[in-house]
Amino acid sequence: MSRSEYKMLSARFDKQDGHLLSVYEADGGYKALRMALTSLKPEEIRDVVKESGLRGRGGAGFPTGVKWGFVPEGSEDVYFFVNADESEPGTFKDRYLLDYDPHQTIEGTIISCFAVQAKLAFIYIRGEFGWLVDRVQAAVDEAYAAGYLGKNILGSGYDLEVIVHKGAGAYICGEETGLINSVEGIKGQPKIKPPFPAVSGFLNKPTIVNNVESVASVPYIINNGAESYKKFGTEKSCGTKLWSVSGPVKNPGVYEIPLGMPFNEFFHDYLGGMAEGEELKAVIVGGSSVPVLPASEIMNCNLDYESLMNAGTMLGSGGMIVIPESSDMVELIQVLMHFYFDESCGQCTPCREGTGWLHKIVKKLRRGEGTAADIDLLEHVCNGMAGLTICPLSDAAVMPMRSFIDKFRPEFEALIQETAPAEPVSRWPRGEQE
Amino acid sequence: MAKLTIDGKEIEVPDGTSLFDACRDARGEALPHFCYHPDLSIAGVCRLCQVEVEGMPKLTIACNTGVRDGMVVHTRNERVTRASTQILEMHLINHPVDCPICDQAGECGLQDQYMKYGLYDAEVEMDDKVNKAKAQVIGPHVILDKERCVLCTRCVRFCDEVTGTGELGIFNRGNRAEIGTAPGVELDNNYSMNTVDICPVGALTGRDFRFQKRVWMLKAASSICPGCATGCNVRIDHEAGRIYRLKPRYNPEVNGRWMCDKGRLTYKAVHEDGRLGEPMVAGQPGNWAGVSGAVADLGAKEGFGLAVASPHLSLEEMYLLKKLAGEAPVHGGLTDADRGEKDKLLLDADRTPNRRGLGLLEIGQGDGSALAAVIKGVTGPILIHGGDPAADPAVTEALSGRDVVYIGTHENATSALAAVVLPGAMWAEKAGIFVNRDGRLQEFRQAVARHGNAREDWRILAELLNVGGKEDAPGSLKAVRAGLTSSIDPGTDLNQLPERGFVPGGEVR
Repeated sequence: MSRSEYKMLSARFDKQDGHLLSVYEADGGYKALRMALTSLKPEEIRDVVKESGLRGRGGAGFPTGVKWGFVPEGSEDVYFFVNADESEPGTFKDRYLLDYDPHQTIEGTIISCFAVQAKLAFIYIRGEFGWLVDRVQAAVDEAYAAGYLGKNILGSGYDLEVIVHKGAGAYICGEETGLINSVEGIKGQPKIKPPFPAVSGFLNKPTIVNNVESVASVPYIINNGAESYKKFGTEKSCGTKLWSVSGPVKNPGVYEIPLGMPFNEFFHDYLGGMAEGEELKAVIVGGSSVPVLPASEIMNCNLDYESLMNAGTMLGSGGMIVIPESSDMVELIQVLMHFYFDESCGQCTPCREGTGWLHKIVKKLRRGEGTAADIDLLEHVCNGMAGLTICPLSDAAVMPMRSFIDKFRPEFEALIQETAPAEPVSRWPRGEQE
Repeated sequence: MAKLTIDGKEIEVPDGTSLFDACRDARGEALPHFCYHPDLSIAGVCRLCQVEVEGMPKLTIACNTGVRDGMVVHTRNERVTRASTQILEMHLINHPVDCPICDQAGECGLQDQYMKYGLYDAEVEMDDKVNKAKAQVIGPHVILDKERCVLCTRCVRFCDEVTGTGELGIFNRGNRAEIGTAPGVELDNNYSMNTVDICPVGALTGRDFRFQKRVWMLKAASSICPGCATGCNVRIDHEAGRIYRLKPRYNPEVNGRWMCDKGRLTYKAVHEDGRLGEPMVAGQPGNWAGVSGAVADLGAKEGFGLAVASPHLSLEEMYLLKKLAGEAPVHGGLTDADRGEKDKLLLDADRTPNRRGLGLLEIGQGDGSALAAVIKGVTGPILIHGGDPAADPAVTEALSGRDVVYIGTHENATSALAAVVLPGAMWAEKAGIFVNRDGRLQEFRQAVARHGNAREDWRILAELLNVGGKEDAPGSLKAVRAGLTSSIDPGTDLNQLPERGFVPGGEVR
């Protein structure tokens, strides 16, 4: 199979003016929309997407068609959100999709909205992607002018409005309920579940939030059918996936490959191996929130949901951070712990206090003031954070922290003072009064 | 109904019950918690009420989980205990632990839950803690200590959901998150001190109570707020003859768990200057031994010409006053006195606790000129009990030259013109019954000793009955209530009013 055949999402990334409607249409754009609106029923679209095995590309990997099926039958007001609040460190694939081929996502959005019978959609773009807001807005304007959006789309009687919304710079607003809160105008922090957004989300109405890449995959599936999509990938990880690769490899960037490709193949054939003078030490494969894998382990992995899960990490968003031997792992984890400490919304106690505490302990270690007990304390704090909060941000901090200690413990231990300070005397010795 | 098993105990609860409530029923005590409050929406942020539900991979918070038939729940196993202990540790790592100077100490959620679920050694050094602003005045009644706050958001939800005023919010994020008000906004609504009640820690403290008393020294008496006709159930916290604060007492039929700030400060009148503490005869301090003679000298042996009651009196006092008047008219005082603005929550426009009591005993009220006309239409001494009818110029004019006996608590226009002034007790210094705006009879009990030589009003009235030679002067409040019970036949024994009060006929208004 040649490399170009994989390109169902990234076909126009290299194309001159690929972001323009005319170019997109010349490439057969909006054909899927015409087909969906004129010859398919919403439930048929939901079925074909379910059948395709498309899984949410934002990180959780939940089957997209199944998520759509959670909207209660016969709901009046349904809202649809395209989640382009791409803030996971190491992840920059959605930016490419919207920058180089916005109409693909817009077409996918309209078909997805039709599938769940939404009348209003938001494309929620990370605030730091300022230029992207203009680019997507221009494309949306083109789509309105061409009759792909607005009233009675393509004469089908289906109406849809799309609003391009700019985020204000919070990582947590990429979490779907945080995103909804933010658009509602209240503080961007996740809501407790249940109820789930598909039942009660934006303005307490059924709401679907899908990642850009998930939505962008929909036109291909409609055009070519579920079977054609499933040709790529593995049995449970269907289709292709965009990987955004950063770090000192020869060819960093965004790549589309079928799920299930061996890392080894991807690393050598696509990334060209490490840059001159660098050696592979470790890889954070799915964005900063997943456990790190040392070179020896990642080399035996295939890049699909199940293989990576079995290897003790996650596919996540496909934000692949390649770490060279020259990197100090403790310094790296300090950067990540600062990120989660800074981005925790602060509502759940374990995350609010835990992220800050982890950051403090790592800083203390790097100052050379740490003791052996501090490494145990890091683990202890992680135990108090994992799986105990409303949203996964707490786990997202714990997973890299734990794996960094687990896989690179000697680097932490090397920071501990040779002569351990005397056991600190408790200022409030308990039990001594008796 | 849903049948579930909690810690091995089978329990049946109605469908729709929250797992939090079901666990409380099964355990006999609530799960550890800060953010859950029965009268507020679910926030689910303190994460303390974690339980294990069999079949669910992760622990779940009970407050946001509904019961399901067949659920098997564990609240005390090792996994749950470890989680709640660790989460409590998270609550405490940046807490200043300044309990020795904190007013909440002794009734603090952090202290209580640490003693129950914590008892670990702290691992964060004091100088590593996050520091935030302390002792910020955020409104006329409330002070905020941001360091002590555990960000449970109860106060924020209270202002959003109960008062609808929305003064408070959470600013910033992560461990820099803090409660606050927007610039130029004050926590200034008539219910602001409820935020102090629901604050589980010492973050919100009442400016009135701050540094006045350690809470474990306080004694409590159950009472009724005298501030308006709503009759909020309150607890009087007092010590050594002094009242330190009023707290709402739960009564779902009247005030729920709230009370207003105006009501909370009604206790101030008990200790303020101008209280009447000694019997006064012709402007000179006397003593109780001389009272009978002094009143008799005014001609009261033949009875009073008129008795003027007040809606501030207890039902028992109104009843005795009526009895004392005998054939003479009884007037209920000024209709238009003690009125104010009504609000949409609890505060009534009628700022007296017992106007319905006057109605129950068929004592009519009138405005100043009507009362003046009644005064002019009678002969003999006039007994005024409570209130300050002479604040109305028409009444003052009508009373000039008349022999007035006044039973009251504070110096005022009426006490100034009375020939005999008898110091009575304030509501916190005696027991009695008020009838609230819904016709609910509610009992209040004595909290503190009476000011000076003031006496319980029923005793004063009994003494005056003796002056008149009435043989059936009651010897106890119990006897007064027995007489009252048979007189008005409310359908219950007034000596045994239920905790939440009693509405004659069982119907509200």
